Amino acid sequence: MTRKQRRLALISSALAVLGVAAGLVLFAFQDSIVFFYGPSELAEKNVAPGTRVRIGGLVKEGSVQRGPDQTVVFQVTDTNKVVKVSYRGILPDLFREGQGVVAEGVLVSLTDFKADSVLAKHDETYMPKEVADALKKQGVWQHDGKEGQAARPAPAAQGAKP
Amino acid sequence: MIIETGHYALVLAFALSLVLSTIPLWGVVTRDPVLMGVARPAAFAMTGFAALSYLALTWAYVTSDFSVFNVLQNSHSTKPFMYRISGVWANHEGSMLLWVLILAVFAALIAWRGRHMPQRLLSGVLAVQGSVAAAFFLFILATSNPFSRVVPAPFEGEGLNPLLQDPGLAIHPPLLYLGYVGFSVAFSFAVGALIEGRIDAVWARFVRPWTLTAWIFLTLGISMGSYWAYYELGWGGWWFWDPVENASLMPWLAGTALLHSTIVMEKRDALKVWTILLSILTFSLSLMGTFLVRSGVLTSVHAFATDPTRGVFILMILIFFIGGSLALFAWRAQTLRQGGLFAPISREGGLVLNNLFLSAICATVFVGTLYPLALEAVTGWIDPTNPSKISVGPPFFNATFLPLAVPLLLAVPFGQALAWKRGDLLAVTQRLVFAGAAAVVITILTFAYTYGGPVAAPLGVGLGAWLILGSINDIVTRSWRSGATLSTVLARAAGLPRSAWGSAIAHAGLGVSCIGIAATVWGVERITALKPGEKTELAAYTVMLDGVFPRQGPDYRETVARLRIFSDGQEIGVIEPGRRVFAVRTMPTTEAGLMTVGLGQIYASVADIEPDGRVGLRIYWKPLVLLIWLGSVVMALGGALSLLDRRARVGAPVRARAPVPAPAE
Amino acid sequence: MIVTLALALMTGAAALAVLLPLSRKRAEDAPSAADADAVFYASQIADIERDIGRGLVDPAEAENARVEAARRLLAARRRAAPDAAMADGTFRRRVAAIIVLVGVPLVSLPLYLAVGRPDMPAQPLAARQQEAPEDMEFAQALAKIEKHLAANPDDGRGWEVVSPFYMQMGRFPDAVRGYSTAIRTLGETAQRLENLGEAQVAAADGIVTADARTVIERALAKDATLVKARFYRALAAEQDGRREAAVAYYSELLKDLPATIPLTSRIAETITRLGGTPPAAKGVPEGGAAIAALPEAQRQEAIRGMVEALDTRLGKDSTDIEGWLRLVRSYAVLNEPAKARDAYARGLSALAGDAAARGRLEALGRELGIGGS
Repeated sequence: MTRKQRRLALISSALAVLGVAAGLVLFAFQDSIVFFYGPSELAEKNVAPGTRVRIGGLVKEGSVQRGPDQTVVFQVTDTNKVVKVSYRGILPDLFREGQGVVAEGVLVSLTDFKADSVLAKHDETYMPKEVADALKKQGVWQHDGKEGQAARPAPAAQGAKP
Repeated sequence: MIIETGHYALVLAFALSLVLSTIPLWGVVTRDPVLMGVARPAAFAMTGFAALSYLALTWAYVTSDFSVFNVLQNSHSTKPFMYRISGVWANHEGSMLLWVLILAVFAALIAWRGRHMPQRLLSGVLAVQGSVAAAFFLFILATSNPFSRVVPAPFEGEGLNPLLQDPGLAIHPPLLYLGYVGFSVAFSFAVGALIEGRIDAVWARFVRPWTLTAWIFLTLGISMGSYWAYYELGWGGWWFWDPVENASLMPWLAGTALLHSTIVMEKRDALKVWTILLSILTFSLSLMGTFLVRSGVLTSVHAFATDPTRGVFILMILIFFIGGSLALFAWRAQTLRQGGLFAPISREGGLVLNNLFLSAICATVFVGTLYPLALEAVTGWIDPTNPSKISVGPPFFNATFLPLAVPLLLAVPFGQALAWKRGDLLAVTQRLVFAGAAAVVITILTFAYTYGGPVAAPLGVGLGAWLILGSINDIVTRSWRSGATLSTVLARAAGLPRSAWGSAIAHAGLGVSCIGIAATVWGVERITALKPGEKTELAAYTVMLDGVFPRQGPDYRETVARLRIFSDGQEIGVIEPGRRVFAVRTMPTTEAGLMTVGLGQIYASVADIEPDGRVGLRIYWKPLVLLIWLGSVVMALGGALSLLDRRARVGAPVRARAPVPAPAE
Repeated sequence: MIVTLALALMTGAAALAVLLPLSRKRAEDAPSAADADAVFYASQIADIERDIGRGLVDPAEAENARVEAARRLLAARRRAAPDAAMADGTFRRRVAAIIVLVGVPLVSLPLYLAVGRPDMPAQPLAARQQEAPEDMEFAQALAKIEKHLAANPDDGRGWEVVSPFYMQMGRFPDAVRGYSTAIRTLGETAQRLENLGEAQVAAADGIVTADARTVIERALAKDATLVKARFYRALAAEQDGRREAAVAYYSELLKDLPATIPLTSRIAETITRLGGTPPAAKGVPEGGAAIAALPEAQRQEAIRGMVEALDTRLGKDSTDIEGWLRLVRSYAVLNEPAKARDAYARGLSALAGDAAARGRLEALGRELGIGGS
């Protein structure tokens, strides 16, 4: 083969591999991208039941009901609309009422959601509010959102009550 | 006094990095050996002051000097000694100081090992390394100063994130940084050579050991991080395709490609343009990883927008170095001479294929990691009230990573067996027949043995076996000649260059990891709630909850569930997963309980303790799981062996002060 | 002084490290590119020889490789332009030396003075603890008790002693654990239940959770006069949105409280906010029965008396630093910022002659947010 042919072979194989990669990416994007909505957005955009989505908001106070066999039902709210979430499994360490939460799963209807994973949003510098306020007053503590960790799944619930 | 000395040392290191990035470069341009001679002492001095600064901060941690804001925020007087040392880098400011210290140490190592390098190249390389260091020193001083003081100093610190108080995490960041930052050397070599305008096989030999060093550390760092996530986070998984993980995987993929392309360049003086580009890209990905992790964009693009100083600063550094080096590359690349010829079917061809696939994989990971950020930024820019938020999770990466990785892995033994320049695929196939047949037999046997189980696992095991057998085959065919006695063959095998052994071992390590990953498909998971005395079945084992009791650690207390493990009615061990609450931060953490059985592990984590006294448990049986990390350690060992090769030693390979006659001119 | 000296020495060392090589007349004997090429290809050829010696490559292939390496060596030599004869670099080197000599201090000193605190000594905890024995003793005592409790987790009395400290330190979940252990091992009393309820509320960021409400109701069932428990019951009603009940609870509570404690004004405000009319608070309690019912209020009074006595004793000129510290802190705790500020000012002028004592008082002032500086 001449130098030119070799270069052609090289370039075409490179294009072939990149083409395959691009195809895979596009294909996977169609299938595995999950959109994130709040309860109000869900209603606004009229998302079709059966769609796989992530929803996020606050766990409504007093809405958590634990059933048998590690099932749990709670409501996620953005103070405007409410979505009922049912989940079977272990809740993350920082899941609690009134705190932020993200759930991924399948939409049953616009207000009913079946989650297969639940993540609690949290900060690396988590602190009881009073302590944080007290420290802030002294000018010692600054809340530094940049260090915040992304929500990650954690299959374990809050510690045993003493 | 010590604190402020350290602070001033940091400032001086910055000043010296400015000297290092200018004077030697002036020397390169004017060909003045005295100016170029500044490079080495300046690199040493910069590193010395950076180290002094780092030691001062460590001292502040060890003595719990809460007048230092950084110590106040991240330490506590009850913290065990070891975590005071590691606490230095377990926070943003300290970790950036470690980052730049490692950068400086690499500069000093180049200066130390580079006595035999051509002076112009050495000066250029050190100047580039100095300029990267200067940017990061300035970043630390301007936005993330670890030496900020507090008046009056409180008497107690705010502690350390309990998740981070763990031996795995204590050594994980330094290893990872040694890898990330190690690729700065390849970058500096590439840019230095572009400035000097001379890139050839000699360059490749000088740069290869550094790339290999960085690669070894990055391999270990990623694997350590993965093991840490596995046992500390209590989710049972070992890789989550989390953006932070991807940020370390991308430089690894590019670095692996670089490692292979430098071989081609050293041996055959080919692929020069590509290798230079890859050097730049690899370090750019490292920088980008630092940016992603440090700027807060991962939490949300908006978190970044609300407090942008650090993020914007790193972004500027990113744009300056990536943009600058790529512009230099575009300007200089045409002047690079074409290298040696080779046929598509040859060792070189194989390595090109390797590079193609690794780059393609890296590109897909890149797209999957950055697409959600880009989409959120763009749609948020069009309509600030309603940005599209999406998540790209494991399904995406599995669907793109595997189809590209599998052909690459299948091709590895062929590449190892091909000859340089012009290979004979038929002959190679004949030589690999035995290994291939054995791998197929192993696949079938595994399939039969686990009949009814998932199909993917035996295939993965077969792939791993193929890689291991291919590596063995490589060593055997190199040492075996028909008619030779066993002792001759062994002698010849022992006489093979260490780099040959190194690459064989590293590829076998890849196979080992591959088997471990495939075996995860056989894993068994039980989510259950048990009362004390109750049992549950887990694969071939029986797990019984013995009871729940409290326990006190040095600075935390723990609720522990004691689980007894039985196999065939025999008790084989006890594991004690728990939930810890640290005194300083009230955040509870999950402590997984692990028991190693052979190469597999029984893994348990405690969830809720339900009102009726039942304990919510998540129990896994993870067969062969240790192979995942063992394989990466084997890979790193292979790399280390290759590094010990005579030829990889930096500088003049033979007789230091070259008695080789100077070219007669 | 020592700091200045250290900074000067370090600057000198940094500049010198660069100036020394610059001052050399001749460059150190560094290899040129041509040297490196020669060495490299020679080693490549040597490698090939070694491989042939071991029989790792067949001779034809080896010959090929050897020829190629040799050819590349020649090419490299041809390419390597002889290093251009150096024009006299003395001037250039002087300029570089001056840049370094002036530049390094010019960059480092202003930058450091902008970000650094050269006046501040290091303050390792161990050394500071010797200066502040009180805090040390408290921390040590707490550590001792905690150690004891770790060994005897069922020592209810120990938990009962340590839990109020946890509350003060903001370690609310620990306090919850302490009080509940005390209840479990020593039995329920109204007081213990009330404390547990308070700790639970604090641990939940001020929300009266269902658990806390149950506990508080139980406490009130045992003793309906508990002040804190009644307050939290009212708060629970308020948080549940049961406005009328909240107003009723608050009003009832307010009637029993002496007007002097700070809580009364807050409760009155809350009632007004919820749309009720606050009844007049009770006056200073009279008679033994009222005092017995209100231990909290009584304690406030006692403290007040003690503080006033201390104030009188210190007067204007006392140099008793501990006394001044305690006085300022007490007024701050009693929520009387004006008096605290006044005492702070008096203390500062009385301690004019004692810099160390002034420093401590000023530090306290800053901590409480009343200091001028």
